[in-house]
Amino acid sequence: MKNLLSKVAAFLLVLSLTGCGYNTFQSLDEEAKAGWSEVLNQYQRRADLVPNLVNVVKGYAEHEKEVLTSVADARSKVGSLQVTPEMLNDPDAFAKFQAAQGQLSSALSRLLAVSENYPNLKADQGFRDLQAQLEGTENRITVARNRYIETVKNYNVAVRSFPNNLTAMMFGYKTKPSFTVENEKAISVAPTVSFDDKK
Amino acid sequence: MFLFSSHNLHAELAPVPALKSHVTDLTQTLTIEQQNQLEAKLATFEQQKGSQIAVLIISTTQPEAIEQYSIRVVDNWKLGREKQDDGVLLLVAKSDRKIRIEVGRGLEGAIPDIYAKRIISEVISPKFKQGDFSGGINAGVDKLTALIDGETLPPPQKQSTNFDGFLQLWPLVFFGVIALGIFLRSVFGDFVGSGLNGTVFGGVALLLGFTLGAALLIVFVIFIISLMMGLSGNSHGGNYGSGYSGGSYSGGSSWGGGGGTFSGGGASGDW
Repeated sequence: MKNLLSKVAAFLLVLSLTGCGYNTFQSLDEEAKAGWSEVLNQYQRRADLVPNLVNVVKGYAEHEKEVLTSVADARSKVGSLQVTPEMLNDPDAFAKFQAAQGQLSSALSRLLAVSENYPNLKADQGFRDLQAQLEGTENRITVARNRYIETVKNYNVAVRSFPNNLTAMMFGYKTKPSFTVENEKAISVAPTVSFDDKK
Repeated sequence: MFLFSSHNLHAELAPVPALKSHVTDLTQTLTIEQQNQLEAKLATFEQQKGSQIAVLIISTTQPEAIEQYSIRVVDNWKLGREKQDDGVLLLVAKSDRKIRIEVGRGLEGAIPDIYAKRIISEVISPKFKQGDFSGGINAGVDKLTALIDGETLPPPQKQSTNFDGFLQLWPLVFFGVIALGIFLRSVFGDFVGSGLNGTVFGGVALLLGFTLGAALLIVFVIFIISLMMGLSGNSHGGNYGSGYSGGSYSGGSSWGGGGGTFSGGGASGDW
């Protein structure tokens, strides 16, 4: 009898809790996914710009092999990432993704810093157009990231609040990872362009 | 100096002014006449094309970068129509000597980042360097309108009615249909009264800009409803007054952003 009672109690508990927050999770989860798609979109847009940028710079600064290679490498690393919506639920994959994109960001800033030394390159209309596109894309990435962080915040708050967190646990809704500043110390130091290894 | 995102800094952010008109000049850079001329130009463009271009001149966007401030402004102002996202913001930060063109999602094809950058560096910035702010802004606006003109956008809604605004009137309309129906049926009898009721509201719909087909549908539906009410007895007449608690209908005279969204596209520059 006790067994039956406890089963009935459990059943009723499940019924009552499915009202608590389940639907909220659906919509917040979808918003987070949509936010993430937008972020991926903009990162892809940036990756697509890179080959053109590399070609233009090569036209004027061919012997800057190290910088050009690091950009090309970073770009292919980003291209080889398996990017899926499920990444949102996998903090490791997410961290790897962030690291790869961060690497491309650094390589690109070094490329642009080096370009400062080539007045002809700077004056090239094609280069200036690509710079404009790159700046626009970087801004779009920032905006998409900020919006994504907002959607994740809403989702995470819902998943962690009582009593919805019980429903969340029951149905396997975990908190989603968000963008962090990978290495706070590193970004607080202005990038130095060293010409020591130029021949 | 390192740039963190704005919510890490405890300094106060530059406020986003309220959106009251196409031109907002907080630095008195433009004379009143120049502001009015520009306002007229932008308002006319919106009426003809539907797209909302706004100009904002402030002193500084510090402690934020102009891009960070700009996206806050457009997220708040929501320039451009909701489904078309055809808004553009021309932002000038006078003390910072920075310019930004923020392009709505729907216009990213008409005004790609490259063009926005060129408008800033080749059209606006040279004039600003000469101290010709009105000339620079107007020239920039002209280039933007030319680019948007080339884009096929849905025609703007007539000023007097907006279907979304009309939806807020539904309780009032419903009450009106019922009340008029009761009156007409009592005077003209069930069939004629219902027919008149339908015709009246169909005519109103036509005047408000509904298509002929929609208006005819309204005539038919209201005719049927009135008829059914008439035939089933008039005992319900008294109940309709209490349910309506005046909706908040803001008439067509107040102007504001159309609900458009932005994704960070555009370009920045300086002079």
